[in-house]
Amino acid sequence: MKTAALSLEALREAVGRLPDDRLAPMRQQALAQLGETGLPTTRHEDWKYTDLTAVVELSNRWLSAPATQHAAKDLAGVVESIRGQVEAHWLVITNGRVDDASLARCRDAGVAASLLSEADVGLHSPFPLTQLNTALLQDGIALRISADQELDRPVGLLVLDQGAEAGSVSQARIEIRMAPNSRADFIEYHASLGGAQHYGNSVVNLEVGDGAQANYLRIQDRHRQHAQTGRLDVRLARDSRFAHCGFDLGGAFVRNDLNISIDGPGAAAAFDGLYLGGHDQHIDNHTRIDHRVGPAESRQEYRGIAAGNARCVWNGKAIVHVGADGTDAAQANHNLLLSDKAEIDAKPELEIYADDVKCSHGTTVGQLDEASLYYLRTRGLDKPFAQRVLTRAFAQAIVSRAPVAAAGTLLTGLIEDRLGRMLEVLQQ
Amino acid sequence: MLNIENLHARIGDVEILRGIDLAVKAGEVHAIMGPNGSGKSTLAQVVAGHEDYEVSEGTVTYKGQDLLELDPEERAREGIFLGFQYPVEIPGVNNAYLLKAAVNAKRKHQGLDEIDAFEFMKLAKEKMALLGMDPKFLNRGVNEGFSGGEKKRNEILQMAMLEPSLAILDETDSGLDIDALRAVAEGVNSLRDPDRAIVLVTHYQRLLDYIEPDQVHVLSQGRIVRSGDKTLALELEEKGYDWVKEAVNA
Repeated sequence: MKTAALSLEALREAVGRLPDDRLAPMRQQALAQLGETGLPTTRHEDWKYTDLTAVVELSNRWLSAPATQHAAKDLAGVVESIRGQVEAHWLVITNGRVDDASLARCRDAGVAASLLSEADVGLHSPFPLTQLNTALLQDGIALRISADQELDRPVGLLVLDQGAEAGSVSQARIEIRMAPNSRADFIEYHASLGGAQHYGNSVVNLEVGDGAQANYLRIQDRHRQHAQTGRLDVRLARDSRFAHCGFDLGGAFVRNDLNISIDGPGAAAAFDGLYLGGHDQHIDNHTRIDHRVGPAESRQEYRGIAAGNARCVWNGKAIVHVGADGTDAAQANHNLLLSDKAEIDAKPELEIYADDVKCSHGTTVGQLDEASLYYLRTRGLDKPFAQRVLTRAFAQAIVSRAPVAAAGTLLTGLIEDRLGRMLEVLQQ
Repeated sequence: MLNIENLHARIGDVEILRGIDLAVKAGEVHAIMGPNGSGKSTLAQVVAGHEDYEVSEGTVTYKGQDLLELDPEERAREGIFLGFQYPVEIPGVNNAYLLKAAVNAKRKHQGLDEIDAFEFMKLAKEKMALLGMDPKFLNRGVNEGFSGGEKKRNEILQMAMLEPSLAILDETDSGLDIDALRAVAEGVNSLRDPDRAIVLVTHYQRLLDYIEPDQVHVLSQGRIVRSGDKTLALELEEKGYDWVKEAVNA
C-alpha cells in the first residue's frame, strides 16, 4: 500500500493563514524542511509498525477545509475537574490554543511561563513530525525554571482537544529550560472529547541543567477514536537527574517518541512506561537514549497489556557513543497478552561504541502465569477474580514507580478504570 | 471427611497414582510418607484440584460430595487447604490483600458478611505472633523475596486464617531450620480440632516428632504399600525406604 503524502500546497496555505509573529519565519523554515523529506512511511525502520496514512489523510482533509474550531466549552469542565483533582500549576492548551488565563495564573504564582511567540526560543528540529508541529503551530508555551529554584507544586501541562465533526488537527508545543540545580515535577496530560476524528501532535523539549532534577509523569487518555503522535526530547547536563513514567490508556492510534540525550557526565535517567491496549487500539512507544558521555546511568522498564485486537509496539534503542566510558544502561520490556488476537511487537536495540560499559536488556511476551493463577484459586479466589488480581499486579510494578505523588490518586483511578474495562471485555 | 477409592491419576501419558485408597476422618492427623517420586505431591495436588493432573479412575469424596466435580476455588471455599511445597511468589499482590480476599471468598460462600478491616488486622497479627512472623510481612508482595522458612510460615498463616476442615500440608517441613520447624509445628498443633482433619505429606520423620500422627501411610510407585500408627514412621526412619521397596517387590 502506498502511503498518502501530505498535501504541501494545502499545508502552505494553512501556514499562510497563521499570524505574522516571531514564529512566522520558523514556520516557513519547518515547512520547507518538511517539503524536502515528507512524513515517515512504513519503509522507515522506526516506522515499520506504525502507518501514518490515516493521520495524513485526516490532515489533508482538515488542511483543505479547516473545520471551524469548536468553542471549547465542553473542555472547560474537563479542565476544572482535573484542576480539582491535582494541585499543580496547570498550563492549558485546548485545540492547539494556549489558554491565556492559565498562563497568567502560573505567572502570578511565580512560574516563569510565556507564549513561545514572546520568548527567545528556537524551534528548529530534524524530525518531520516536529517540523509539522512547528509549521502549524498557533502558539506554544515556554517555561523556565530558574537556578536553584524548587517549585512548590508540580507543573501541569494539560493538552485537551475536542474533535470537530469534519475531523480536526491540533498542535501542542512546550519548551522547558531548567537552570542548574533546579528541581521540578511535571505532569503532561493528554485527553480529548467528542466523536468524529481528531489528530493531536505534541512536542515537548526539556533541557535539564547541571545538577538539576526533573520528575516527569505523562498520561495519555484520549478519546477512543482519536489519534496522537507525541514527542518528548530530553537533554541531560552534568549530574542531572530525570525520572519519567508514561501511561497510555486511551486513543485509537498512538505513537510516542521519548528521546533522551545524556550530554554531561554523572547524569542519570530512569524512564518507565505502561501501555494498556484494548479493542482496536494501536499504541507504539519508541524510546531512544544516547549516552554521549560517561559515566552515566540509564534504566528503563516498559510494560504492556494487550487485549482485544490491540497492537502494541515497544522499541527501545540505547546508543553508547565513542568515549562514553562508564556507561551503565539497562532496559527491560514485559508484555502480557490477554487475547490471541492481540499483537505485541517488542524490539530492544543496543549499539555500543565504547569499551568500558555495562549494558543489559530483556524482553518478554506472555500470558498470565498459570502457577500463580492456580495458587490464588486454591485460596478460594475464583478464576476471573484471580485473573484481575494478577493483571493489576503486573501493571502495579510500573504504577508504583510513577513519580509526582500529587497525581497519584488521579493516575490510579484512571488505571483502575481502564483495566477494569479491559478485563470486563476479557471475561464476557 | 475425605474418602479416596482406587484413585488413578496421570499427567500427560505418565500414570503417577495407581490405585490409592485412603480414608481420613474428622479429628485425625495422617502422615503420608514415601521416597521421592512416589506420588505424594501428586496426591496432594489432585485433592486440591490441579488441572494438569487427569483422574483416569477412582473416586474422591469430601464431606459426602464428589470432590472431582469442583474447581480448585470451590474446594477451597468448602474448607480444603493445600500448603504448597513450593509456594508461588506473586510480586505486586499484597500479602494482606490475598489473605483478606481468601477469608472473604470463604465467608461469602458461607453467607457471612465480609470481615471488617479492624477484625482482620487483629486476627492476622495474633496468628503471626503465634508463628513468630513479623507483621511487616503483611505489606509485602505474596512470598516475594521470602526465604524458604518465611514462605512456609506464610502458608501456615494462610491456613490459620482460613481455618480449613481439611488441611493438606505438602512437605511443609522441607528446608526449615529447627526454629522454623517448631514454629510451623506449633501452628499446626494449635489447629488440631475434633472437626478438622490434617494430612501431612513428608519425606522425613522429623516433623512427626512435633506433630503426632494418628496414622502413617507409606506411598511407593503410586500406591499405599503400608499403613500403621506412628511407630511405622520410626521404623521407616531406621530402616530407610529401601526396606519398603523390597517389601513391595518381594
